[in-house]
Amino acid sequence: MNRTQIKIITKAALGILLCLAITSIAEARPLDDVVDSGEITIFVYSDYAPYSYEQDGKAVGIDVDIAKELANALGVELKLLMRGADENLDDDLRINIWKGDLIHRKVADVMMHVPVDYEVDNRNEFAVIMGGYFQETVAVIFNKDVIPEVKTFGRFVSQQIGVELDTGYDFFLSSAFRGQLLQSVRRGRTFKDAVALYADGEVPALLASRAQTEWVATQTPGLNSSVVQPPMPGMVRLGWPIGISVKHDSRDLGYELTDVLSELQNSGKLAAIYKQYGVTYLPPIIE
Amino acid sequence: MIKMKVWLAAAVGAACLSSTAIADVSIEDIVADQASGDDIVSYGLGPRGQRYSPLTTLNKGNVKNLFPVWSFSFGGEKQRGQESQPLIKDGVMYVTGSYSRMWAVDIRTGEEIWQYDARLPEGILPCCDVVNRGAAILGDKVFFGTLDAKIVALNAKTGKVVWRKTIGDYQAGYSYTAAPLIVPTEAHGPLIVTGNSGGEFGIVGEVQARNPETGELVWSRPTIEGHMGTLNGADSTMTGKKNESWPGDLWQNGGGAPWLGGTYDPDTKLVFFGTGNPAPWNSHLRPGDNKWTSARIAIDPEDGKIAWGFQTTPHDGWDYDGVNEFISFDMEKDGETIKAGASADRNGFFYVLDRTNGEFVSAAPFVQNITWAEGIDENGRPLYVDDNRPGNPVESADGKKGKSIFAIPSFLGGKNWMPMAYSQDTKLFYIPSNEWGMDIWNEPVTYKKGAAFLGAGFTIKPIFDDYIGSLKALDPVSGEVKWEYRNKAPLWGGVLTTAGGLVFTGTPEGYLKAFDAETGEELWKFQTGTGIVSSPITWEQDGEQWVAITTGWGGAVPLWGGEVAKFVSYLNQGGSVWTFKIPESLASK
Repeated sequence: MNRTQIKIITKAALGILLCLAITSIAEARPLDDVVDSGEITIFVYSDYAPYSYEQDGKAVGIDVDIAKELANALGVELKLLMRGADENLDDDLRINIWKGDLIHRKVADVMMHVPVDYEVDNRNEFAVIMGGYFQETVAVIFNKDVIPEVKTFGRFVSQQIGVELDTGYDFFLSSAFRGQLLQSVRRGRTFKDAVALYADGEVPALLASRAQTEWVATQTPGLNSSVVQPPMPGMVRLGWPIGISVKHDSRDLGYELTDVLSELQNSGKLAAIYKQYGVTYLPPIIE
Repeated sequence: MIKMKVWLAAAVGAACLSSTAIADVSIEDIVADQASGDDIVSYGLGPRGQRYSPLTTLNKGNVKNLFPVWSFSFGGEKQRGQESQPLIKDGVMYVTGSYSRMWAVDIRTGEEIWQYDARLPEGILPCCDVVNRGAAILGDKVFFGTLDAKIVALNAKTGKVVWRKTIGDYQAGYSYTAAPLIVPTEAHGPLIVTGNSGGEFGIVGEVQARNPETGELVWSRPTIEGHMGTLNGADSTMTGKKNESWPGDLWQNGGGAPWLGGTYDPDTKLVFFGTGNPAPWNSHLRPGDNKWTSARIAIDPEDGKIAWGFQTTPHDGWDYDGVNEFISFDMEKDGETIKAGASADRNGFFYVLDRTNGEFVSAAPFVQNITWAEGIDENGRPLYVDDNRPGNPVESADGKKGKSIFAIPSFLGGKNWMPMAYSQDTKLFYIPSNEWGMDIWNEPVTYKKGAAFLGAGFTIKPIFDDYIGSLKALDPVSGEVKWEYRNKAPLWGGVLTTAGGLVFTGTPEGYLKAFDAETGEELWKFQTGTGIVSSPITWEQDGEQWVAITTGWGGAVPLWGGEVAKFVSYLNQGGSVWTFKIPESLASK
C-alpha cells in the first residue's frame, strides 16, 4: 500500500461529494432552473416562534407552512435553510440570498420574512424584495393578575418587562424615555428565553411583535394575559409589511411566488395558517 | 472502506516517523523558548510574546543572500486569510491554516507528514473571516482551536485526535481563532489557556484553563463584571462586582471577548489577556465603564483570579476592540528598572503599565491625528472628545440621516490583531499600524430579525492619499517614533526582530521584507505571490538560520474595507507557507 495513492482516493471521493453539493445549492436560481431541478431552497430564521422554529426536531411555524405552500404551487420539493439572524437585514440578504456564508457558501432561492422597505431594497443591489404577505405591528403582552392595565410605558418604570436580546424591541426599551426603563428591562438571550421569563412569572409583561405576543398567549393558558398596543414614542416604526426576497437575477421566481402569495391571501389560506398559531392575520400595507 | 484506508495511511505515516527522533516538548522548553534558537514551541517566540530571536547568523550584512527553500501549499479551494504562526520542533513544522486546518511538514524536504481538517458544522457564521492564528505544543501533543469554538489535541506524530473539547456553543455565536497558550502552575502542572471569540451580541468573554493531558477544565474566568468564575468544577469568585459599571441586566451579555489569546510572564507568573469591546454597540444604551471590556487583565494561573485590570477605552463607543497583546519587558527609566508591559491598542495609543500591579506608567499615540481623545491623563484614562463619540441613533427618530462624525483611528484600529515585536538590543517596539479613520452616522431605518430599528452606518477611509500601513519603531521610554516604514496597503501581519539587527514583516502586496532595526532601511524583500497577513519566525536548523512565513491574503480588511478597497481590491488569495535560509556558503558574505 502506497500512502500517496490512498490519499488521492479519499480526496477524489470528497471532491465528487463537493461538486454535487455545489450544483444543488450554491446558487439562488431563476424559476425555470428551480422547477427543472424539482426542488426549492427557502430560508427561514431559526428560534423565531411563531414564524419558524423547531419543535420535536422538526421545523414548524407560520413561515414554514407558507414555504410549503410555495413549493407545492411550483410542484417542487421543499428544502428549508434554517439559520440565525446576523446583525441586520442587509447581512441576512447577503448571507442567505446572494453571496452565501463564509464557510459553506450556502444560499437559498427564496428568503422568508423580509420587511418590504424601499430603502433596504435599494441599497442591496443583488437582492430583490417583493411579495408582501403580512403586516407586522408591535405589542405588549401582560399578566392582568399582576398589572391591572398598561396604558403607557410609564408602567415599566416600576414594573419589569421582558424582551428578546438585541432586537428592535430591545433597542426601543433600552433607549426609551432617556434610559428611564434601563433598570426594568429583562432580556432573554433568545425569544424562547424571553417567553420563559413571562411564562414563569419572572416578569409581568413582554414586548415583541403582535404576532409573537398573540402566540405567547396561546402558550401560557394559565396566565390571565392581555395583548395591548400602547403609544411607543421613539419606536422607529409601529408597523411594516413582511415579504420575500430573491436574488436579483431570479426576479421571475419572485414574481411567480408573489402571485402565489396573492392567491393564498385571497383564498383565505394565509389567514388560516396564522390562525393555527393563534395569530390574527393582517394583510400587508404596501405604500 | 474509505475509513479503513485512512486509518492505514495514518498507521503507515506513524511507522515512517517513528524512525526520526522526536523529543517531547516540556513546559521548561516553552518557558525558555525565547532563549533557544533551534526550535519554536510557543506563539510569540516565548510566552512573553516579544517576537525577538537571539540568533545572529542572519544579519544586516548578509540578509541580501536570504533565498527561498520550499513553499508548501495548503491546497484545495479553501484559501482566504492565513494569519498563522508556525511552530518548529525537531525538524517538523506544525502550521495551521484557514478553515481550521493543520499540517505537520518535514522541514528538510517540505513534504507533508500529516494533515488534519476540522469538520465544520453548518450554521457557524464567523463574523470576521475564517482565520486561525496558530497552534500550541506540549509533550507529544499539538493543540489548536477551531471556528466552531472547540479545542483539539492531536498526536504530534500522527495528527490523530487525542481529545476535543468545547470552548463555547457555536450556535450561540461563539468561535475560536487564536493560538492557545501553555503556562506552568504549581497547583495543577502545565495548563492550556484559551480565550473565546464571537461576533454576536449576547456572548460573554471568558478565559479558560485546561489540563493538556485530558482537556478537562481546571478554571474559567469570565471577563465581564457579575459573572462567576470556576475552579476545579466549583464556583470560585465573581469577576468584579455585579452592576458596578453596567446598568440593568446588560452585564449578562456584555461582550468583552478575549479573542486574540494571551501572553505569560514567567517572572511575575501572570497570564495577560486583552478583552474586546462591550455590547451593544450603541454606547448610549449602557452608561458606565462596562468592565472589563476593552481592557488588559492579568490572571493568576493558579486559581484563575484576576490580579489586576486596566481599561484602555472605558465605555467604548467606537468599537475599539482592545484585545491587543500585552508584552512583558524590563524598562530602564530614570536609572530604575521597571517591570513593565506594553500594549499598542486599537484606540491608537501605546500603553506602558507596571506588569506587577497594572498601574499606569505612560501612554503615547502611535498613529497620527487621533480624534476621539485629546490624550491620556495621568491615571491612564482617555481625555474624551465628546463631540467625536458616535451619536445615539434613537435621537434621529425623525428618520433622517443623523449626526455624522469622523473618528481616527477606524474601528479596525491603530493596530488590529497583528502582533508587534520588542528588541532586547535596540529596546524598541516595532508596531505594525494603520493610518485610517471612519465616518459613522445614524442610519434612518434598518431591520434585525424582521423588526425595525435605528442603526448606524460606518465606512473606513484612509487619512493619506498614498499609504495606510505604517511600521513604526517606538521607544517605550520616551514614546517617540524612531523610524517609520510606510506601506500603501494596510499592514495586517505580525513582526519579528532578531539579534542580527533585523526586523521582518509581510505586506498585503505579497512581500516579506527585512529592515535595519536601528534605521528602518529596507534591506531585503521577496514576493510570495499573495498577500501576507501572518507573523514571521526564525530558527536554526542543521547549523543554518531559517525564516518562515505563511501567506494568503484575507482577514478583516477585505470584508470591511470601505474606501480602503481601492488599496487592496486587486490582491489575490492564496494559502501556503514559505521557508527561507542563507546557504552556509553565503552566510559570511
